Amino acid sequence: MIRGYFYQPSSSRVQEAVARLSGNRVAIYTGDECLRETMQDTLSVSAHLPGQASELTFTDGARFVPLDVTHRWSFQSGKSSLLASLESNLVLIVCALVATPVLLYALLFKLVPEIAVTAVEAMPDAVVEQMGQQSMVLIERAALSPSELSAEQQQAVRDLWQDTLAQLDLSADKYRIDVYRSDHFGANAFALPHGQVVVTDELALLLAEHPNALRAILLHEIGHVERMHSVRLASQAAVASIAIAMLIGDMDIVAEVVLGSGSALMDLQFSQNMEWEADNYALVQLARLGYSGEDFAQALESLVSLDEDEEHSWLKYLSTHPSLQERIEHARTHTPAL
Amino acid sequence: MDSTSTPAAAEAASHSTPSQLQFTGNGKEYFGIWIVNMLLTLVTLGIYSAWATVRTKQYFYGHTLLDGHRFDYLATPIQILKGRLLAVGLFVIYSVVSSYFPLVGAIMAFALVLLVPWMINQGLKFSMRMTRYRNIRFAFKGNLGEAMVNFVVLPFVSIFTLYLLMPWVLKRIDAYIHSNIRYGDKPVQVQLEGKEYYAAALLVMLLGILVMMLLGLAFKLAGGINMNPDELGSVNFGMFLIVPLYLFVISALQGIYQALIRNHILNNAQIEDVAEFKSTLAPQRYALILATNAMAIVLTAGLAFPWAKVRKVKALAQATQVVVLPGADQVLDTAQQADSSFAEEAANVFDVDISLT
Repeated sequence: MIRGYFYQPSSSRVQEAVARLSGNRVAIYTGDECLRETMQDTLSVSAHLPGQASELTFTDGARFVPLDVTHRWSFQSGKSSLLASLESNLVLIVCALVATPVLLYALLFKLVPEIAVTAVEAMPDAVVEQMGQQSMVLIERAALSPSELSAEQQQAVRDLWQDTLAQLDLSADKYRIDVYRSDHFGANAFALPHGQVVVTDELALLLAEHPNALRAILLHEIGHVERMHSVRLASQAAVASIAIAMLIGDMDIVAEVVLGSGSALMDLQFSQNMEWEADNYALVQLARLGYSGEDFAQALESLVSLDEDEEHSWLKYLSTHPSLQERIEHARTHTPAL
Repeated sequence: MDSTSTPAAAEAASHSTPSQLQFTGNGKEYFGIWIVNMLLTLVTLGIYSAWATVRTKQYFYGHTLLDGHRFDYLATPIQILKGRLLAVGLFVIYSVVSSYFPLVGAIMAFALVLLVPWMINQGLKFSMRMTRYRNIRFAFKGNLGEAMVNFVVLPFVSIFTLYLLMPWVLKRIDAYIHSNIRYGDKPVQVQLEGKEYYAAALLVMLLGILVMMLLGLAFKLAGGINMNPDELGSVNFGMFLIVPLYLFVISALQGIYQALIRNHILNNAQIEDVAEFKSTLAPQRYALILATNAMAIVLTAGLAFPWAKVRKVKALAQATQVVVLPGADQVLDTAQQADSSFAEEAANVFDVDISLT
């Protein structure tokens, strides 16, 4: 005899009742009155949850909930108790504690990048073109204004660019350069995925006397385009945010914070790796054009002196790039495999 | 033996005293559920999250007792999974479009804003329909026009009043949500006052400014010491201090506001002839709970989350009493429509979070 509450179907009425089991039949009584009598296999039994009694639901929606919160029915399927026993298994909990961070790492740092790279390889040129042009529209509106350099100064940058392109046998249709004034970017250069490179007035002025340094930077930017870095970053971000959205569903703010900083870290790591790749591209191409790694190192060293003079405008460029000292070292020791 | 099947009049005495809302779950049990949920979700690349959601909700609803009867969470994992897959599909399209075509993405984001009221309504409908007490389901009957006004138009308008209108808008949102809830065939009635929202907002703002100033002062003093040792170390140390401190302050302020508003809503809500509510949540106590919860979660890299959640839910239950009126035995379940958790999931994925506490 099991004491409990009997809930009438589709009504808020409750009765104290007892359940009696005989053979494979279940009967619910209140006092001497029989409320329900049925075969066990027509009943649905709720899942095992710690501290909650398993309830019986009749086909018409009536329910019987035992008072004893630990009550389990003898005819309940073992399947539903599997989860409950996993959840209270100390060994499994300890394993889960170790496995969860490992799996998170594998997912964010191995699987997501893999998918992102595959997505980049399948990317049609038209999409890359659109991506570059639309980004440019937004950046131009937000942070760029027409160049205030004289026509000769601008021409000098373009000549250097044309010269570099011609030497590298790169298409002048795809690759183009633009000079803009920008308070936001300071002295900087950046490349868009479809081959447009933007140099700011400040950078052009600072390096007017160091054409080799400017050439090194232009090659570095071309490296970004050739290796499809911004497409990779974008697809990385897209795949990561999808993965995070799927995982978070239930995990609340904590997971959001942890996963959010994880993906930020991932972005940082990848953009640093991409800077090294772009440097390597620049070094290989410099070697092909008859300059040596030493030239690039000297170019970078001239940036170090600028770094000291123009601390503020250079700070931004450096923050997204690996340490200049490391890059100089790398340029000196790099022997491109030709 | 028989208690509530006899005419309600006989029961009047036992019903007129408020009954305490109880939460009988504990952090230890929930920790097991939580960590297993997390592991299985990762192993199945997110698929299990639907089962995890159902299990967590079943645990929390089933351990919430009123008058000896527990609440039930009724959604099935498949319902949640379907909604989640649809929502993720929409999210995939949005995030792919916005990272490859930023301009189109911006336009799409604007279109999504117009979808928000619909998603909020659907989400509320789903979660109410999936909540049951004594064989009666809850329901939500909001309409799209009102949701559009309350969730999109008025918050947008309040920007132009330098947010001076915002507490009033929040009052309207709470009134809209709560007065559209039904318990079976009985509507919930609320009488909310704008001045309570203004008082709460003002208090929290003043406290916020005060704490900011104190912290600013403290860091200025600490900054003097930071100049001497090697710079990198001290900068990092500062960062490690600022983030938890910020979380602590924000959680405390949040706790004060939520406690004041929760008390106001519940103390002015009733289901005619069925129930009256009473909330006595002390703002400073709730603020302390939320703030220390946030600290514990940060300091244990998330492991304290189950303990913190149970602690919060316990405090909320402890501060809640319900007077069960004689009519509580005569509520009938109204017909329930088709179930869709898509909107609720879409709202979750896009981070349009609305809470009912």
